[in-house]
Parts: sequence; structure tokens; C-alpha cells
Amino acid sequence: MSEKKERIVLDVAYQPQVRTNIDTRRLMLTVILSLLPAVIWSVIQFGFHSLVVMLSSMASAVFFEWGYRKLMHKTASIDDCSAALTGLLLALTLPPTAPWWLPVIGTFFAIVVVKQLYGGIGKNFLNPALAGRAFLLASYALILGTYAVPRALSGVVDGVTMATPLSYLYGEGTMPAYFSLKSMFLGTIPGAMGEVSTLLLVIGGLYLILRKVISWRIPVSFLGTVALLTLIFGHAGMNRFDWMLYNLLSGGLVLAAFFMATDYATSPVTLNGQLLYGFGCGVITVLIRYFGGYPEGSTYAVLIMNLCAWAIDKGFHRHQFGVTEEDIEAEKAAKKAAKEAAK
Amino acid sequence: MIHTFKGGVHPNYMKAPEIPVSVITPPQQVVIPMAQHIGAPNKPLVAKGDYVKMGQKIGENPAPVSAPVHASVSGKVLAVEPRPHPLGDMIMSVVIENDFQDTPDFMEPLNAEQLKDPDAILARIRAAGVVGMGGAMFPTAFKIRGGIGKVDKLVINGAECEPYLNGDHLTMLNYPEQLLKGIELVRIASGVDKAYYGIEVNKKDAIDLLNSLHPEKYGIEIVPEAVKYPQGAEKMQVYAVTGRQVKPGGLPSGVGANVVSTRTCYAVYQACYEGRPVIERIVTVAGSALAKPVNGLTRVGTPFGYLAEQCGGFVKDPRKIVLGGPMMGICATSFDAPTIKGTAGVLFFTEEEDRHVDEPQCIRCGKCITVCPMKLEPVFMYMYYSKGDFENMEKYHITDCFECGSCSFNCPARMPLTHAFKTAKLMFQAKAAKEKAAAEAAAAKEASK
Repeated sequence: MSEKKERIVLDVAYQPQVRTNIDTRRLMLTVILSLLPAVIWSVIQFGFHSLVVMLSSMASAVFFEWGYRKLMHKTASIDDCSAALTGLLLALTLPPTAPWWLPVIGTFFAIVVVKQLYGGIGKNFLNPALAGRAFLLASYALILGTYAVPRALSGVVDGVTMATPLSYLYGEGTMPAYFSLKSMFLGTIPGAMGEVSTLLLVIGGLYLILRKVISWRIPVSFLGTVALLTLIFGHAGMNRFDWMLYNLLSGGLVLAAFFMATDYATSPVTLNGQLLYGFGCGVITVLIRYFGGYPEGSTYAVLIMNLCAWAIDKGFHRHQFGVTEEDIEAEKAAKKAAKEAAK
Repeated sequence: MIHTFKGGVHPNYMKAPEIPVSVITPPQQVVIPMAQHIGAPNKPLVAKGDYVKMGQKIGENPAPVSAPVHASVSGKVLAVEPRPHPLGDMIMSVVIENDFQDTPDFMEPLNAEQLKDPDAILARIRAAGVVGMGGAMFPTAFKIRGGIGKVDKLVINGAECEPYLNGDHLTMLNYPEQLLKGIELVRIASGVDKAYYGIEVNKKDAIDLLNSLHPEKYGIEIVPEAVKYPQGAEKMQVYAVTGRQVKPGGLPSGVGANVVSTRTCYAVYQACYEGRPVIERIVTVAGSALAKPVNGLTRVGTPFGYLAEQCGGFVKDPRKIVLGGPMMGICATSFDAPTIKGTAGVLFFTEEEDRHVDEPQCIRCGKCITVCPMKLEPVFMYMYYSKGDFENMEKYHITDCFECGSCSFNCPARMPLTHAFKTAKLMFQAKAAKEKAAAEAAAAKEASK
């Protein structure tokens, strides 16, 4: 025993000596898992090509993450799976007709410019996937505006591409009968690869909330704000509730609310700050949809709110345990009295 | 109704209260450090060559914040010299060669009259060397005396929220009546009519047993609490039981509450009813380096290496010796350091428990904020700490952190949050001391003019 004791060099460490087994990698993999139903649905509706685009996006994102860290002599970080997730999220915002090389350009911007140049995971101030999408939207507007006919509608409509429900909602012409609320909820509509089935996205989002990967605050305040505003302002020639539901079900709103706006690095960490952030996302989405020159609002809404996250966190700095409501009231009263006295 | 607080975490509890208490054979040599409490260290009362009996007082200091120490075995004093202390450093210790006779030298039990007299009880608590045995090791008599007149809510801590530890739970199950009597004594000494005994509901068998013994006869109410770490932290315990929030930087007595741990109350019972000083306690010995956990009744002064041998020896090489629970427990640096009064657990961890990451990267997930029981914002505290920004560290209340470790535990990126805050608090202390010294120097200069 004593010889053995000599051999052993004891470690010392500050508390705690145990830690949760949920690490960054596991969080990222959980998010990827929660997106799988939407991924499978996309392959069913839009064919094998959508899987090729998604895989090319994930592979290129991981490659750029690896390559940049290697070139810059930084510690390897692809093990945390955040780059793979960024690649998948970016692909899910692209139309199924996108060529395989399109996400490669997008992930270069997302991973290298938006994420790594600012120091890598946790340091970026814009959501990499959405910034990548915004970059592609500006560069390849035509490709991003062309949507394939889903399998469920082949035979119902002619041709291989068609307009999305959102373009009818805020554009010319009346909504075709095949864009029923039910079809939009289930996802038998054209759209970006990962945004069509609200049902599957909500299942994935609820799973993340239940597993405590994300909090309910941002999605609930984001979607709630959009619902409330569209209900209040309505639209000529449409029942208010139908209008609200169409707004919630169309475009990338649900994908953005559960999977984009909740990105850790670019959303507030303070609890009340998250509510305000979601509210801001909702307001900007509705403003863009009503007044913007382009029907989809959630991408830019989230990107704009990303820029406010830091300021929001500063504003919602909370009182520590031990400071009661009465203490806060007393402090306010004292300040007021001091002001009065100064006058 | 189940009482609790906001925040907190659910570590893997790893508890094994079903393993009955076994008696750890005292070692050939016990090492009794003169400092086993917060406050003035004791001066040895014995010299090399002296014969001491079990329970004999061997170290004392008349300072008010102190607690004497007693021999945990009978035998000859081999040495009085600095030895490795479990909390690090070399501390003056009395080394006793065990004669395995356990010849006792206990105090007279208190008589019926004394058992009702707060002063007699407090004198005995002090004489028996009772300290906060939850781990803080604050002298109990001083704590109770300081609360008299101020404290109207006496809270007994039976949460035992730290993973692995079973000592409190087993004390409740094995000595329920003695425990209730011990709590009654603490209640009488504190001068209050009622004690609230907060117990986490994962110890349902103990709650039922204690309730069946009519705790109201002793002026005790059992308060069931949610199973959550750090339920047993002083401030969380007071909040859960009384709804009062201890002020930032304040003590529970500031809001009329005092918290005493389960094992301390049992030690008070032993001191008053049996005349036994604190010389042994249940120590949970566990961790992946051992084949199975042991709940061992262990004498004070048992070296860790010997303890591990008595518990079946190592099946894997340990990497760390953790004292107390794994959430707040610190690491021992030597196999030769002994158990002391505050040692509720000795955990031998291997790399299996290790989650160290070389260059951790904060992902800003905010999971530290949701779990902080003090409602702090560790993610920002860490950021300002990294920058050495004292002004903002203060603004984000870094000194209110009591190092429960919940944020670090819950951090998916493995950031060394608690470590940083501990260091920051030391930096603040050093800064305050420096400023005080500078102010005093300036005042002296002023005076000399």
C-alpha cells in the first residue's frame, strides 16, 4: 500500500468535483437530433437532392471550421459539433432546388467570417446560419426565390416550381385552395427545405424545451408577438384568425423562433431579456411582412435582434438573492427623496 | 407542502443509505490536528510520552471563537508536531499511539436540571468541542450564544443535498430519539419555542420515522423539502423554511434565523446526555477508486490512506481525494492527512469523475444564470473576472457568491466558474486589506503632523 501511495500523484481542483454529463457537444447533437424529423420530411417531399444539399452544407461547414483553426494554429473545435449544426441550419433555410455548391459559399461566410473571425464558438454576435443565408439571399436572389413543387402537390400543379403561400399572403392573387391551413401545418407546401412542416418543427422545438436545451421564453414571446400583432392588424378580405394562423404557419417563422433565435451566443442570457428579445423579433418580423419589399421577415428580424442582445442583457441585470421587493421599493423611494432634496 | 428555493441543480446523487453503518477499526496511530474549527487554533495540553484516555481534552484555546479537541483513542502521545492537515498545510497535531483499550475519560452527563438550563447546555457544547459538523466547523456554542435574543426561527439542516453523503440520513434512521433530544437541547439553548427541521424528501423513511416519534413533544416541526442542490446551504435552508431572505453579505441571524446541522445536534445530544466529546462521526467513503461505498463510523484523526484500506482498498488508482461532498468539497493533498470533525465524506475519485477540459470555451448558453441560487449572473461575472474589471465584478455582486458550484456543475463548456469567483473574492479581500492599510497609514501620518 505504501509503495502504491508513493506512486500516486494526487490532483487538486477547486469545487465542484463533479459536473453534469451534458456538454457542448451533447447539446449540439441534441439540436441536430431534434431537426431530424424535418430533415426526413424534406427528403420525402423534395427528393434525394435535398439530402445532398444538406450534407454538402454540413461537410463544408465542418471543413471550414477545421481549416481555419488549423491555419491559425488554434485548438481544434469540430468535436463540439457546432459547425455541423450551423451547416444543417443553413441548408434548412435554402430551397430544395439549390445547387450543391450554394451552401458551400454560405457556410464559408457563416463559419469563417461570422463565427471564427470573432473568436469562434460563443464569441460571434450574429447567428452564423442566418447571416450565411442573408449573404446568399443578396448574392443569389433568383436561386433563393425559386421553390420546387413538393411530392404531395405533384399532379395538382403543373411544372416543377411554384410560388409559396407567403407570396400569396402578401402579394397579388388569392390563396389557392391547396394551401389550406392543414396542409401548411403538416407541410405539404413548397418552401425552404426545413421550414415547410410546422408540426415537425414544433415537435423538435418542444423536445429541446423539455430537454432544457433551450428555454421557452424566446420562442413563446417571438411567436406570441407575431400572433398578437397579426390578429390586431388583420388583413383586408380575410378572417382575422385565419390571417393570424396563415402568418404563423408560413415562411421560416417557426424554424426561426425555435432554432435560430434561440442560438446561445447571439441571444440574451438574462431571463427577462429573453422575453424582450423574442418580442423584438416578433415586432420586426411583422413590420417587414407588412411594409417590407420582401415577404419573409424572420431572417432579418433575428439578425437585427442579435445586434441588440448585448444591450438587452445589460439592461436586465437582476438583483441578487436577499434583495427583496421592499428593499427595491425603499431604494427607489430614497433616490426620489434625494432628488427632491436636491431641487 | 414541499419547501424549496429558486434555481439549483440535480446532480447524480450516488447515495447509498441502504448500506448499514460499519465501525472503522481505529488506526495504530491517530493524528489529531489542533485546528478543527473556524477560529483560534488550540494549544496542545499534552506532551510527548504522556498517556491519554479516550475523550480526554488534549487541546484548548480560551478565545471565544474556538473549540477544544479530544483524544479519539487511548494510548501514548508519540509526537506533538506539525502534520499534514486535510485542508492543506502543516498544522500542529497530537499523534497518539493507540493501545486499543479505548479507556474512556468522558464528562459527567448533565443532570435533569442542567438539561433545562441554556447556560449549562452551552458550557457543555463548548467543553465537548462541538462545531458545525455539516462541514463549516464554526464553533456551535459561539453561534448559538450569538443568536440569543435575535433569533426567533431555529432551523435544523437535514437536507444532506450533497451527492454521496449518507451520514445525516443514517443518523436520523439509527438514532431518531437521541437526535430529537439533541435538537431540543439546541432549541432550549437558543431560547426559542420551536425548531424547524428541514429534510429533503428523498429521506422519506427518516421523515416518517421522526414524525412517528411525536417531534412536537420536543418543540420540533419536520419540514419536507424538495430534492435539489444546494437545498442545505444556509441561506437556501432559511428561505425554504421561513420564507426570509438573508441580506447580501449578512448572516442568517440578521433575519432572526440560525441554522444547525443534523450531525451537530446529535453531537450535542452525546455531549449532554452521555458526556461524550466529538471524537467520531459517520464518514461516507466512496468514489470510483473503491469497489463499493462504505458508511463508516470513523474516529477523528484517521488518516485517509488507512481509511481506504479499511474500506476494501483501491480497485483503481485514485486521482483525487475529495473531502465532504463533491459539490463543495475540496481536495486533500496527502494520504496521511486525517479525518477531522467536519469530514462528512472522503471520496476517492479517478478519471471517471473527471470532466476537465483544457481550453474551455463559453458558449453563452446562460445555464449558469438559471441555476444560481443567489440569482447572480456567472457568465458576466466570469467575463469581468477575466478582464480584471473590479468595478463591474462588484456591480455583478461577485462577493455574494458562496461557491456552491451549481454554475460550474451545470456548465456544458466546463468553464472554471466557481474557481474564478473564489479567486476573485480573495482578490477583493486583498484589495480591501490594502486599502485599509493605506488609509491607516495616511491617518497616522496626519496624526503625526
